[in-house]
Amino acid sequence: MFDSLLLAQANVTWYMVPLAMAISLVYSASRYELPEYILQRAFRLFLQIVGFMCVAFAILWVLTYGL
Amino acid sequence: MLAFLIPGAGHLYQGRTVKGIIYCVSILGLFFWGQKMGEGMVVYGDVTLSPPRIGPLSYVAQLGVGGFSLPAAFQNKRAKEASNHSVRRLTAPFTAPFAGTLNPPEGTEPSQLVGTVRLDPAEGQFGPEVKGTFDGTLDGKPVKLELGGPRFELDRPIKAGSGRKLECGLLDGAGEGSNLRGRAIIGTVPRSLLNSYGVTPDPAQIQDLNDSLGKTYELALVFTWIAGLLNFLAIWDCVNGPAYGFGDEHTVAAETKSRAVAGAGPPPPAGTKEEPIRPEIAPVQKTPV
Repeated sequence: MFDSLLLAQANVTWYMVPLAMAISLVYSASRYELPEYILQRAFRLFLQIVGFMCVAFAILWVLTYGL
Repeated sequence: MLAFLIPGAGHLYQGRTVKGIIYCVSILGLFFWGQKMGEGMVVYGDVTLSPPRIGPLSYVAQLGVGGFSLPAAFQNKRAKEASNHSVRRLTAPFTAPFAGTLNPPEGTEPSQLVGTVRLDPAEGQFGPEVKGTFDGTLDGKPVKLELGGPRFELDRPIKAGSGRKLECGLLDGAGEGSNLRGRAIIGTVPRSLLNSYGVTPDPAQIQDLNDSLGKTYELALVFTWIAGLLNFLAIWDCVNGPAYGFGDEHTVAAETKSRAVAGAGPPPPAGTKEEPIRPEIAPVQKTPV
């Protein structure tokens, strides 16, 4: 079920990556001025967003397990 | 103003090149990617057609991108002008690239046509008609078709979507031995960007988009909304600077503290020229030999 769910949503899910990248970059750029700070914070924020989405996905997967 | 009209342009003007490039690429990249995913029918000014429960918020969010979403407000008016209607009578010769189908007899698959149509106004037995030719390929094979008759319709010049629908009848006896009576070519000719960008799609077009794209159309909307909202952050940064300061606050604070300790008074006001701080050099003591 996990595989089929991933495959069915694969095309849509991958859009999350560039979206999260753009949001991280712009948000961090609006917080800091120095480029190295911006890139560092953007990378961290990107990981946080992707991590949060993975956790949400895992919770939903567990909740729907066996349905 | 620049930051609103073109994301990142305000920062580039201020000399903050890296941030300008980040904003420009990220925001415009998202916006145009969304436009591409939604086949150019995502940003439109007629908010009554927005998805239910979202209403005018859709265009308000997209407005953040400024110069690239503002045309939608004007295109809406242009599209509603009385002169913008479908064409049933040609008044001048018309030539355009064409892609579409040759509508088939009942129960058969349509054949794919790609080529160029050339049409001229003509006077028929019962009134104005068109006459012309199609040069191109039919299912990959070269073909030349004689077009004409009263069956002719060209879609409105100003409308959403890059394709302008064209339907034109075939003249009897044209083609290669096939019975063409009552048949027609149905397809699209290109519509200019000026006449399609930001124009509100018809409800039927939105319905078609939802049918053909499904979730992708909604994602396209989300991309353009987020792009618009992100530019509000960029505008704020352009006007007021970054939220957590420019990164040189520690240096300024330390300098102020050292001046206070040395009794040199507060630092000079911003914009005034100051001698650079140099380390004091102790005078060389000449020791007697």
